[in-house]
This record gives sequence, structure tokens and C-alpha cells, in this order.
Amino acid sequence: MKIVKKSLFYLLASVVALQFLVPLVWMILSSFKIDEVIYRDIGSIYAIIPKFSDLSLKSYTELLGFYHIFQNVGNSLIYASITVVFGLTINSLAGYALARFQFPFKDWILIFIIALMIVPIEATILPLFLVVNEMGLINTVPGYLMPFIINVMNIFLFRQHFLSFPGELIESGKIDGLSEMGCFFRIVIPSSLNMYITVGILTFLASWNDFLWPVMALSNAELMPIQVALNAIFSDTYNIYTSHMMAALTIVTIPIVVLYIIFQKYIVEGSMQSGIK
Amino acid sequence: MKTVKNFVKVRNTTEHYRQSEHYKKGEVVSAYGFLTPAMVLAILFIVLPIILAFTYGFTDYYLLKPNDKQFIGLENFTRMLSDEVLMKSFMNTIKFVVFVVPLQLSMALGLALIVNKKIKGVGFFRTAYFSPAVLSLVVISILWTVMLNPTSGLINEILANIGLPKQPFLSSADQAMYTIVAISAWSGCGYQMMIFLAGLKNIDNSLYEAADIDGANAFQKFLFITIPSLKPILMFLVITTTIQAFKLIVQPMVMTGGGPDYSTMTILQYIYEYGFRHRNIGYASAVTLMFTVFLVVVSIVIKKLFREERAA
Repeated sequence: MKIVKKSLFYLLASVVALQFLVPLVWMILSSFKIDEVIYRDIGSIYAIIPKFSDLSLKSYTELLGFYHIFQNVGNSLIYASITVVFGLTINSLAGYALARFQFPFKDWILIFIIALMIVPIEATILPLFLVVNEMGLINTVPGYLMPFIINVMNIFLFRQHFLSFPGELIESGKIDGLSEMGCFFRIVIPSSLNMYITVGILTFLASWNDFLWPVMALSNAELMPIQVALNAIFSDTYNIYTSHMMAALTIVTIPIVVLYIIFQKYIVEGSMQSGIK
Repeated sequence: MKTVKNFVKVRNTTEHYRQSEHYKKGEVVSAYGFLTPAMVLAILFIVLPIILAFTYGFTDYYLLKPNDKQFIGLENFTRMLSDEVLMKSFMNTIKFVVFVVPLQLSMALGLALIVNKKIKGVGFFRTAYFSPAVLSLVVISILWTVMLNPTSGLINEILANIGLPKQPFLSSADQAMYTIVAISAWSGCGYQMMIFLAGLKNIDNSLYEAADIDGANAFQKFLFITIPSLKPILMFLVITTTIQAFKLIVQPMVMTGGGPDYSTMTILQYIYEYGFRHRNIGYASAVTLMFTVFLVVVSIVIKKLFREERAA
């Protein structure tokens, strides 16, 4: 009885797993084939099981000959990194001030931040475009990056985090002659690394995955982040080979897989932290 | 929900200081220094866009003729009522939300129940179910468009292999939106599975043991212990998924361009098409304004419902 129950469980779990894995396996496997082989195999089990004699790197070499995928990946890595560094600094400084200092209008500023949290930021993307356009920053990297460096949700998360930060640590830093700014960079950040990594990773992923805003703010091919470039490849070229497309999708996914493997713990915890506490 | 709860906390902690009303000069200077960059960016890129939507929403501003904008009162808003494409986009968006939220959340809960079993090899299943979460929405959309190709796609080959008729999927006005619903649930449920899983791990095992003694069956335990214990998480996920779903745009933009016959056009995409691509700023600003107000109202209403639920 127990054996039967156990096997049924494994059967169910595996059938469900197939629905998640088959598309991914097909994507990766197809990227190592040529189109004739992809469509020859598509009705058979070899669509998702490798037959090593059929696999080659041809689609990758051809794809990279036609498109500058690595440049777009590089752009995205740079954009995401800049957003993380500036975003963490600016948002955590604000969160820290709101948690630790007493100053006039503090309540009002907090209420302001909380009110902004309810603004559905993507919904106002068109007037955001107009603002950046009137600043003359459309099709420039600063114009693309600045609006999403500020993140009121993260200001709030940092504030909540710093509320319970031990004040004695900062006092002792001041006795050692550090300024408030010095305390922040030398004491507060190093002892809140977990928090910074968590928020940083989520910021990085959001920036990497962003699509709508760069479509509007960066149309210059050389500045394009990878998500926009992918869509351009997919929609501009009617006759793109399936194998090339799958190779492009695989290349784009690799950095994120690496990121997930390294930071798995932070990503899952972070996504919950931003909601449930 | 957390916002509201914390807001109460905020008031309480600052109350105490306000009574003393004495500020240290050094602290005040540091505080404003620390806050200035964030405040400048927030005003420029969050507040100013809302103000612009408000002012342009009452004009006939066309981006290519910036000096020729006229105040036209409520004309944009009355025009919305008779705009069939806009109404269709709105109904499409509602349709997406109504189908995707229950589907995705029940899939996520089901997966969480599977991987919550303490049994060998469960780590593999957890990774497998979570795996679509590493793909970006653009990658997911392109991959599925290729796989759903009506003549040569992988999915139709699988259907043919098990004896089912081929389906048009994205190229049919009847099926396209449901296809997008299914793909979105497929790609999003792994993430929420992890959140449900954390909740399941927190449930006190003695509850289940007590139920066993009372002779409860698995379904009763699920209904009377698991579901009530997960309620806070469930409500949180309902709120976030609903708001997120209203902002659907990437999948239709990449997969269908809003077609066929506007059957997958969403509100946000409508704003993008008419405001950004056709440069019809005045009218699209008015739509933006209505959509923003609508979303704020929706999130306030569901948060309020949730608060009452908790108070009861």
C-alpha cells in the first residue's frame, strides 16, 4: 500500500514536472540543432532527448555572426549594475534617514513615500516618457536609468530594516570620530549586507527583465538592452531560423541561471520579505 | 496590507518624538542630505508624470505639434465612452485578471503541496517547478510563440501525437487571450509556489496530529487546517497578483501585438499604442489618468476587504 502510494506520488510529481521542463529542454536542445533537424524531430521523442550526432554549435556561431547579442547582454549587465549601485545607495540613505533621525516634516515625508507606493508605476509610463522627453534625455542612458533608480518600496523596506538597527553601534562609531555619512558607509552598510544583497538582487533582476520602458526610452540599436534586442530579432526578421532564435534565448537565460544558483536563498527570501513580514 | 499595518506603526513611533519637538541640528542636516537625492528623483519621475497626465488629459496635445495644444475640457473623457477598441481592451484586461489570478494561485498551491512532502527527490521537483521563473517575460513570450505555431509548433505536434486536433492558439481571436492566461500562469506559479511553501512549513504539525486523532481525512485537513493557516499569504498573493495582472502588456506585445482583431489588446498596451506610437498624447494621457485612478481604487478596495477579513 505504501509503495503504491509512493509511486503514485512520484508519477504525479513527474508528470507535472514535465510540463515545466519540456519547453525549457526543447529550447536548449533546439539551439544545438539546425532547423531541418528540429522540425524532423518535433513529432518524436527526440524533440526533448538529445541524440548527440545531431548536435552542433552551428546556430550559435551563425547567430553571433548576424547579431551583436553579446553587446546587448553587456549593455543589460551594465544597466542593471548601475541601477543596483545607485538604487541601493540612494534608497537606503533615504530609508536610513527616515528610520534614525528626528527632523521637521518627517511624518509628512513618510506619508508622501507611502502614498507613492500605491502609484502603479507602469501605468504612468506614458507621462514618464513625456517627462524624460522634455528633459531631452530620450535615447540616452541617464534618461533610461534614472527613473527606475528611485524605488519607494525599497526606501520603505530599508526604513523597516534600519528601525531595528542597534543605535549603540553608531554611537560608538561617532565616538571614534566618524561623521553620520562615515557611520553609514563604514558601519551600517557592512553590518546590513544581507539586506543589501537581497534588495540588490531583486533590483538587478527587475532591471534585467525590463522591457516596456527601454522600448520607449532607448531605441538606439547600440544602446539596446537585451530584452528589447531579442524582441527586435524575433519580430523584424520574418525568416529567422528557429535554431537561431533558441540559441539567442539560451544565451540570454544563462546569466540569470548563474545568478539564481549563487543567490537562490536571497531571491526567494527577498521576494517574500517585500510582502510578508 | 503591510503598508497599512506599518503605517499605523509609523504614526505610533513618531508620535513620541513629536511631543518633545527638539531636533539636533546635525541630525536635521544629515537627514535632509540623505533624503534629497531620493526626493528629487521621486518628484521628477513619479509625481511629475502624474501631474502631466492630469494637465495633458484635458488637451488635444499631439506630440508632433507641441505648440498647438488646446484645452478641450472633458472631450477626451467622453470620447473614451464611445471608443470601442478602448472598451474592448478594458474587457480583455478584466478577462485576463479574472482567469489568471485563480488559475495561477491554485497551480502554485498545488505545486507547493507536492513539494512539501518529506520524501526523497523532492528537491528536484521543486527546482523543476520553479525553473520557468528564471526566464524573462520576453524569453517566455518568444519561446511559447514558436512552440504554439499553428502548423509546425511543438505543442500541436504533441496534441497530434495523443490524437487531439491541432489548435490555432494565438492566431485565433477566441483562443489567444486564454493562451496568454495559461502561459502567464505557467511562468508565474513557480515563484508563488515558493511563497506558499514557506507558509506550509510554518504550519504547526501538532494541528495535523490532533486532526488525525479526531479521524479527519486528508481533504478535511486541507480544508480546515491548511487553508485557514495560509490565509494571510493567500490574501497577500491575491492582492499582488491582481494588481500585477492589470498591468499586463509584455506578453501580448511580443506574442500577438494585441491581435487578432484586438482580442489580446490590454489597457496598458492601448496607452502605449495610442500615446507612444501614434503620438496622441492628450487622449492617451486621459486614459492613463483613468487607468491610474482605477488601479489605485482597486488596490485600496482589496486591501480594505482584506483588513475587514482579518478583523473579523
